[in-house]
Amino acid sequence: MNDHDGFREFVLVRQQALMRTAYLLTGDAHLAEDLLQSVLVKVLGQWGKLSKGGDPVAYTRKALVNQYISWRRRPRVELPSASVPEHGVSSDDRTLDRIVLREALARLAPKQRAVIVLRFWEDLTEAQAADVLGCSLGNVKSQTHHALARLRTIAPELAHLLSEHEIEKVAR
Amino acid sequence: MTRLREALGDIAADAPMVNLADLAIAGHRRRRMRTALAMTSVVALAVAGATSAALVVPWHRLAGGATPQNAVMVPELPGGKVGALSHAYRTECAVDRTTREVDCDSAEWRVVTAGGRTYRVPQALAFTAKHDHVPLALSRDGRKLAYYSDEAAAYMVRDLMTGREATSPIKVRQEEIQAGAILVLSDDGRYLAFDPLVGKKRPTTLIDLRTGEAKRLNSRYEPISIKGGVIELVRYVKTDLWRMPVEGGGKPVRFKGAWIGFSEPHPDGRTVVAIDHADHRKGARTTFGVLDAQTGRIVRKVRLTGVPANTTIDEMSVWRSSKHVTVATSTGSDRRLYEVNVTTGEAKLLTAFGTKVRDLALPGAASGK
Repeated sequence: MNDHDGFREFVLVRQQALMRTAYLLTGDAHLAEDLLQSVLVKVLGQWGKLSKGGDPVAYTRKALVNQYISWRRRPRVELPSASVPEHGVSSDDRTLDRIVLREALARLAPKQRAVIVLRFWEDLTEAQAADVLGCSLGNVKSQTHHALARLRTIAPELAHLLSEHEIEKVAR
Repeated sequence: MTRLREALGDIAADAPMVNLADLAIAGHRRRRMRTALAMTSVVALAVAGATSAALVVPWHRLAGGATPQNAVMVPELPGGKVGALSHAYRTECAVDRTTREVDCDSAEWRVVTAGGRTYRVPQALAFTAKHDHVPLALSRDGRKLAYYSDEAAAYMVRDLMTGREATSPIKVRQEEIQAGAILVLSDDGRYLAFDPLVGKKRPTTLIDLRTGEAKRLNSRYEPISIKGGVIELVRYVKTDLWRMPVEGGGKPVRFKGAWIGFSEPHPDGRTVVAIDHADHRKGARTTFGVLDAQTGRIVRKVRLTGVPANTTIDEMSVWRSSKHVTVATSTGSDRRLYEVNVTTGEAKLLTAFGTKVRDLALPGAASGK
């Protein structure tokens, strides 16, 4: 068996899910690909340890989020987000939600965006999100609160997605 | 499932299909090789120079027997006179999705002359072993090129009119180049400013290549340009602009709000243009501000006209005349350079770089900002 066969298998199985997370974090297909690629290089560097009882998924997710936050620290112009590339023009509510939410996410601070993705896309608990972000449980709670509040301010039309009732479903 | 998760899932469905295993393995090998090369170079510098050719061209080894076609078609930067450059760019590793071959020769710096010729610059490191981007900068007239040489463990400045190279007197270990590193070459190629890490943990070093003198600058500021013996520094948290003579002195001016993407100073010595971060975040991504660098006054805001829909201003750059500044933009992944009238916003296309260009380096502009 080649040294990299285990890594190849891991990437083959997980890369699309990881790419979706990277895309939600960056909002740009090229940046997402760059981000995931650079993280996978790091993962491969640690593969010896990870394949012997480590948790490659958790390690990769953590590296992905932290690399993303690191990239975003400099105040710089973001590449524009891809403009609805795959879906046809539609006026239904879900399409509108997707467009508005994409724009609203782009206006969150990097850590706020990361916490939204971890809690509401990856379905991590607050404790798991704190572990990924390397911060306290309280910090995750406050970041989540502020991120949701900011989304509600930026995009009041998303109220039906961000209602207390909807959010409590995740908290339970 | 919550409706928020459904909406996130709808966005995530736009994520591209990828196959990154081979790319990651190639990147990992390159990283290991660079680390080995960095260690080897210390010894190599003390022995015969015969090994140097192998040290500066790690890409060839990685490609194995299957050198990608584009690497064959683009020649290496020759010694001697090349002529002024119009820009430089970094390419990405790519996978041929049909043959599944990894193309890491494309992950390198390339320069384009004013006459339109493109050359690879394999001696210019494009990524560190830790996968951080390494900047490359051009002087304002495009006649000098600054890049990081892993072999010399220093920045090099090549005069493209004579082929002569100067080595920075300051040694910079590859590990010192970290996330968000910035490199600026002065208009005359004499001064080099290097900020190794985004944020205020590590200061910018200003190097006089003529005297070999180097000085550490205030770590809160990042370099934007060096022109006429004045280095333009910006502190982003409060948006302070400091036009500091290279000998030191001067004091910063504060602008109200958060501004990014600064141009070099106007020939009048007081006007700069920049992007209001608040406008950008609100989606007004073709709007820029004209600022008074002496008083801190926001003179006016101007919107680009004559550009495609969904265009974003990436950075403002050098002045081409008293009324026109160069502006780099993106429309999707399509990168373009315009000459923009700062009164009317009218944009005239100078160069369409296409969609394959990453980390564009323009004459006179900070690379990596």
